[in-house]
Amino acid sequence: MEITETLDCKGLSCPMPMMKLSKAMKKLKSGDILEMLGTDPGTKADLPAWCEKTGNELLEQEEIEGGVTRMVIKKK
Amino acid sequence: MSNTSKEPNAMTQLFRTFFGKHWPVWVGGIVLGTLNVLLFAIRSPWGASGGFNNWGENLMSSTGLMGLENVTPVNMSLYGMLAILIIIGSFVGALFSKEFALRIPPKGELIKGLIGGALMAVGATVGIGCTIGSFFSGVPALSGGAIIFTIGLFLGVIIALRYLMWEMEAFPGWSTGKSYNFLSAGTKSGNWQIYTGWLVVIAVIALAWSYADANPTMAWFITIGGLMGLISQRSRFCIVKAFRDPFMTGESQGAVGVIAGLLIGLFGFTAIKVFGIGAGEVGMRAREMTWVFPHFWARAIVGGFIFGLGMTVAGGCAVGTLWRVGEGQVKLWMAAIGFLIVSPISSKFIAPAFESILPHQMKFKSFLPDYIGYGGAFILVLGLLLAWYSFVKWNERTGKFSAF
Repeated sequence: MEITETLDCKGLSCPMPMMKLSKAMKKLKSGDILEMLGTDPGTKADLPAWCEKTGNELLEQEEIEGGVTRMVIKKK
Repeated sequence: MSNTSKEPNAMTQLFRTFFGKHWPVWVGGIVLGTLNVLLFAIRSPWGASGGFNNWGENLMSSTGLMGLENVTPVNMSLYGMLAILIIIGSFVGALFSKEFALRIPPKGELIKGLIGGALMAVGATVGIGCTIGSFFSGVPALSGGAIIFTIGLFLGVIIALRYLMWEMEAFPGWSTGKSYNFLSAGTKSGNWQIYTGWLVVIAVIALAWSYADANPTMAWFITIGGLMGLISQRSRFCIVKAFRDPFMTGESQGAVGVIAGLLIGLFGFTAIKVFGIGAGEVGMRAREMTWVFPHFWARAIVGGFIFGLGMTVAGGCAVGTLWRVGEGQVKLWMAAIGFLIVSPISSKFIAPAFESILPHQMKFKSFLPDYIGYGGAFILVLGLLLAWYSFVKWNERTGKFSAF
C-alpha cells in the first residue's frame, strides 16, 4: 500500500481535522491513499462516520506512540 | 485454565461499557436533559456563561482592576461551582477512558481560541445567556427570546464556518505548525490515568459531602456538575457541532443529540412550570418566568449571532469549552481564559451601552404561554424540534446545505 499523502492534524481540535481532511481528499484522485495523524479524540468517531457517508474507505485505524491516532483512507 | 477465567468480571465489564468507547450523542443528550430537569426541580436550570462570569468577576476583583464589589466567591456561587465541576467531571471521563493529554495546537489556533472565547463572552452578556442558559435551557423554558437567540446562533455559525473555510484556503499557516502532546496514555501503558481518575472521584465526593449540611443545594450542584462533565466528555456532546456539522459535513448525530436533550427538557420544564413545582417562597409567577430573560428580541438576536461566531471560531460553546478544558485541549483553555476575562468587562460596559440605546419593545421578557397558552407553547416548541430534526436528516441524505 502506497501512501499518496500524509496529513498532520496533531494538536488540532474539532472542526479543523475534518475540514483539513475534506480539503485534502478533494485534491486526490480515485484510489489514492491518505494517511492522517491526529490527537483529537473526536476524530475517532467523526472520521468513520464521514467515510461511511461519503463512500471513502477507512483502511486502517490505530493508536501509535504519543497519543497519536493514525488513520488511513482510500479515496472513492 | 478454562476460557471463562479470562472473561472480565462484571464490574470491569460495567466500567468498559462507560469508558471503553464513546457514547452515542443522543444518549448523552437524554441524560443531560434529565439532569437539567433535576437542576430546575432543585433550584434553577443549567447555565454555563454565568459560571465564567463569576470566575472573571473574582479574578477582576482580586486584581482590583474594575472596582467590582460584593462579588460572590466561587465556592459560594452555584453556577461558578457547576462550571468548575463540569471541567472536573470531564477530566475524570477522559482519565477513565485514557483519553486525557495536554494537546497544544499551533500558535494560530491558540489565538483563535482566545478570540473565540472573548466573542462568546460578549455574545453571552449582550444576549443574556449562552448556548446552555439561552438555548439548551431557554428553549424548554418556553422563552420566546431563546428561540430568537437560537436564530442568531445559526446565523453566527454559518458566517463563522464560511470564515474558517476561507481562512483554511487563504492562510493555511494559521492552523498548521508545531504542536505538542504531553501525558498521553497508550493502549497498554498509562494506567496512571485510571488511578488518578479514582482519586479525583473521591475528592469530588468529599467536596460535595463538605457542603451537605450547610448548603445542600450546592452539594447537589457539585454532584450534578460532575456528572454533566463526565457525560459530555463521553458522548462528546457539543452544541457547536449540532449547529455546524449539517452545514459542514452534513452529519446529523450532534444535532440529534441536542434535540433529544431539548425534548426531555421540554417535558420536564413544562411540568415544573405548569404545576409550580418548587415555587415555595418565590411564588408561582416567578417560577413560571424562570430562565425567561428580558432579551426579546434585539438583545437575543445580536447576542446569539456574536456567540455563534465565537463558539465556531473557538471550536466549543460554553459547555463544550468546559469539558474540552478537562480533556486537556489547550486551544479551549485559551477560549476559557478569553471568556472569563472579557465577560465582566462586557457585562459592565458593552452590554449596558447596547441596552441603553434599545427601546423597551426590543428588550422585554417574552414568555410564550402568555400569548398562546401552555398547550400552544409546548406544541410550538415540539414542532420546531421536529422540523429541525427533519431538516438535518433530509440534509444528511441529500447534502443540499453541506459544504462538503
